[in-house]
Amino acid sequence: MVSTEADYLHIVTADNISAARIRFGKTIMWASAALLCVVGLVQYLDSQGIVSLGFETWRPTLYAFLIWASCLCWGQVLLYGERGKLALFVLPAALFAVAMVVFPLIFALGIAFSNWNLSSPTGRQFNGLDNIRQMWGDPFYWNALKNMVWYTLAIVVEYAIAFGLALALNAQIRARKFFRVAFLLPLMLSPVAVSWMIGKSMLEIRFGPVAHLVRELGFDQISFFGSPEMARFMIMAMDAWTFIPFMMIMILAGLQAIPKELHEAAEVDGASGWRRFWEITFPLMLPVSITAILIRIIFKLKLADIIINITAGGPGGATDSVTSFIFREYRDRSNVGYGTLLAIVYLVLIVIAMTILMKLADRWMRPRY
Amino acid sequence: MKIDLYKYAVAAGLTRRGLLKGAASVGALAALGGLAPAGRALAGGHGNVRAEILKVPGVGMGSPTDADWQKVGEMCLGPTMERVAQGEFAGVELTFMGLNNQNLHNFLFRGFLKPWEAYTGAKINWIDLAQADYNARLQQAIATGTVDFDILEMGAPFEGDTAGRGLLDEMPGWVSEQIDESDLVGYLQPPVGTWDDKKYRVTIDGDCHTFAYRKDYFGAGAIGGETVPSTWQEVNAASKALAGQTDPLTGLPAHGYLDPLKGWGGFGFYFIANRATAYVKHPDDPAWLFDADTMKPRVNNPGWVQAIQDVMDLIATPGAYPADQINADPGTTAFQQFLAGTGSMLMWWGDVGSSARTSDTSVVGDVVGFGINPGSDRRYNAAAGAWEDVANEAPQMAYIGWGIYVTARVSGDEAKRKAAWSAAAHLGGKDLSLWMSAYPSGFQPYRNSHFNYEEWEAAGYDRAFVEDYLGSNADSYNHPNAAVEPRIPGIFQYYSVAEDELAKGFAGQYASAQETADAIAAAWERITDQIGRDSQIALYKASLGV
Repeated sequence: MVSTEADYLHIVTADNISAARIRFGKTIMWASAALLCVVGLVQYLDSQGIVSLGFETWRPTLYAFLIWASCLCWGQVLLYGERGKLALFVLPAALFAVAMVVFPLIFALGIAFSNWNLSSPTGRQFNGLDNIRQMWGDPFYWNALKNMVWYTLAIVVEYAIAFGLALALNAQIRARKFFRVAFLLPLMLSPVAVSWMIGKSMLEIRFGPVAHLVRELGFDQISFFGSPEMARFMIMAMDAWTFIPFMMIMILAGLQAIPKELHEAAEVDGASGWRRFWEITFPLMLPVSITAILIRIIFKLKLADIIINITAGGPGGATDSVTSFIFREYRDRSNVGYGTLLAIVYLVLIVIAMTILMKLADRWMRPRY
Repeated sequence: MKIDLYKYAVAAGLTRRGLLKGAASVGALAALGGLAPAGRALAGGHGNVRAEILKVPGVGMGSPTDADWQKVGEMCLGPTMERVAQGEFAGVELTFMGLNNQNLHNFLFRGFLKPWEAYTGAKINWIDLAQADYNARLQQAIATGTVDFDILEMGAPFEGDTAGRGLLDEMPGWVSEQIDESDLVGYLQPPVGTWDDKKYRVTIDGDCHTFAYRKDYFGAGAIGGETVPSTWQEVNAASKALAGQTDPLTGLPAHGYLDPLKGWGGFGFYFIANRATAYVKHPDDPAWLFDADTMKPRVNNPGWVQAIQDVMDLIATPGAYPADQINADPGTTAFQQFLAGTGSMLMWWGDVGSSARTSDTSVVGDVVGFGINPGSDRRYNAAAGAWEDVANEAPQMAYIGWGIYVTARVSGDEAKRKAAWSAAAHLGGKDLSLWMSAYPSGFQPYRNSHFNYEEWEAAGYDRAFVEDYLGSNADSYNHPNAAVEPRIPGIFQYYSVAEDELAKGFAGQYASAQETADAIAAAWERITDQIGRDSQIALYKASLGV
């Protein structure tokens, strides 16, 4: 541990911590840790039927964990005084995160490598890498992953549109405030509402107003979700319609933060509108743009509700997303083990992809000047 | 009865005069000693109960309220009183898990059971679930060993998951007697509701698919032909012939049979099964989805492949289906297509018949007719591995209907057990069931005694309407070759994966119907292996009663 004497800037009083206090602090920390281990172990043995103590719930372990967490926090103060109190700002949150994220993740990993169909009388059974082998040969999963690549690529177009809209709303146009609110409206709608209102009603082939308009324009037998390409495009369009405002509002905020002087100076220097955009606005907007795109990618990778409601992944899997496929595997087929593995693999893929993207973004965002 | 059906009966079938006439005749008949036919339940001892409960609140007097449900519950307490002493269950507390669809199901049960609670002294706690949450809640409770309910409203397809695992309590003999089980329609008789010859279910509902068609498409000089198709061969021929013609009602393109080509959370599989049962449900064999001895799927045998091929033939016929059919699930085919005037033939549950006349968006109310599932000119004999040139009919009892079950939680406590079964028997009582068929409850008629049209007429219903509505159901229910689905664990998993593979087949991603069917069979084999082949075989045989 860092000596308190050396850190005069942050420490108000130097603690005189007695040896007895240190002993007591260590005792309660280790004792509570031992209690947690013992209770956890006993409950595990009970749940496995090795010993029979009649536990009905796992609450004793939860209480032991809470006691341990409290003692750990208290122990920090006892052992390190003022500095220990500083640790209390972070430690409870860290313990909470460990309890709510890390533990479940470990359990999820356990489930992911299990054969666990809720209908199976044998319950959960460890099956090693079988789920990975099944995933490797599962055309539905790879098809969904391929679709996700298409869906994610569509973000480039969404970004361009969002940028254009943000520029328009940043300009001195009439009824600017009205348009800013109006353009935000789609973002306020639930994707489930969008899928029903637009996908199921407006695009309904026979009575939907859009289909009606298309027929009026002279097209016959239009089918919005009939062919794979068209269906995929329509899903992309609906998702884009919902989330372009999100990118737009972020970019708009960025645009408003650019000092006017830069544009005025460029104008004085005789730069054209396009050059002003390309040399000033766009580079200065890169950090905001990258952030908006990264967040949008994260949103996009979760795309499921519109697909589940409108196409159920069809026709023939053309619109299936990884999440909508996992939804079917998990909910409709109660295939908990395999479904969890697919979700974990997807999570790992996302983490890797996002890390690479952020590294690249970091490089792109370095000023060129 | 379904809500919309009731509304129709009220809106279209009744005039005020007719109602008064009906009420008067009910009164008169009641005075003469009741309407119930021979073989009535023990409630028969309460002579006019059946006629009296049909007056609460009175057909056409608005939707029943909680007060009405309580009143009916009280009037139907007779059989309970014969077996349970007042206050006998004092101190007994039970938990009931059921649905809250359309504010029916559990809402009614609460009202019906309130007088039962007051009489017996028992107390019931309620777990209300939305339909979408039901399966997950039940499966998780089973899988994690946290069954926290004593009485359960459940569909028969889940009997494999529950009874098959010893989670249910066997029905005592007195319950069968109290609810007069012999009155149940044919297909709801054992083996449905039984496992290893033990009874577990108090039936409160019936389900089946019936055939709906447009009368203006068929008949002398009509565009669909002289007669209504009665086999799938005729259905397909008519559908192909209708391509390119004009709908006589809407003036838009005419279409024939409406196959849903998109999945519906597993429920879409029932619709390809409608076609297949005519080919593969052999009268000598109760099994039609799997071989009972091996759980080898039959879904890729020539009969099933023919059913898939029939659909593919129509996909390949330009104009046979509406333009967006590949994206049409069963909800679309029924409510957005058939009822809205697109297409001329459909298979569905009873809702379509009622909605045809009650829904604001329906335009086919005056031209809709009903029949049973189309048959076939020939059938496939899985045992012999060959086609037989014998006509075959096999209406599909899709989903089998809801029942009340008691869980094994009460098995060790005789008072609690009797209380739970008494509550279940009260809800499945013969007289109460008549009221549930006649008023909005979410349940369909399911007893032979529900098909006494005089009773309905006396209560104030329009006779022609009731006969039309109930007739096709009755014919399907009591068909000697009815196709009853396997009540094995995970049955909806099989349906769900089949939907995914069928979607690929219909989108042209497999080379043929056979290849599509083989893919389904392979996926089914994997599910069987995962759940456990030996246990599935044992449970399948138990569910078939073989």
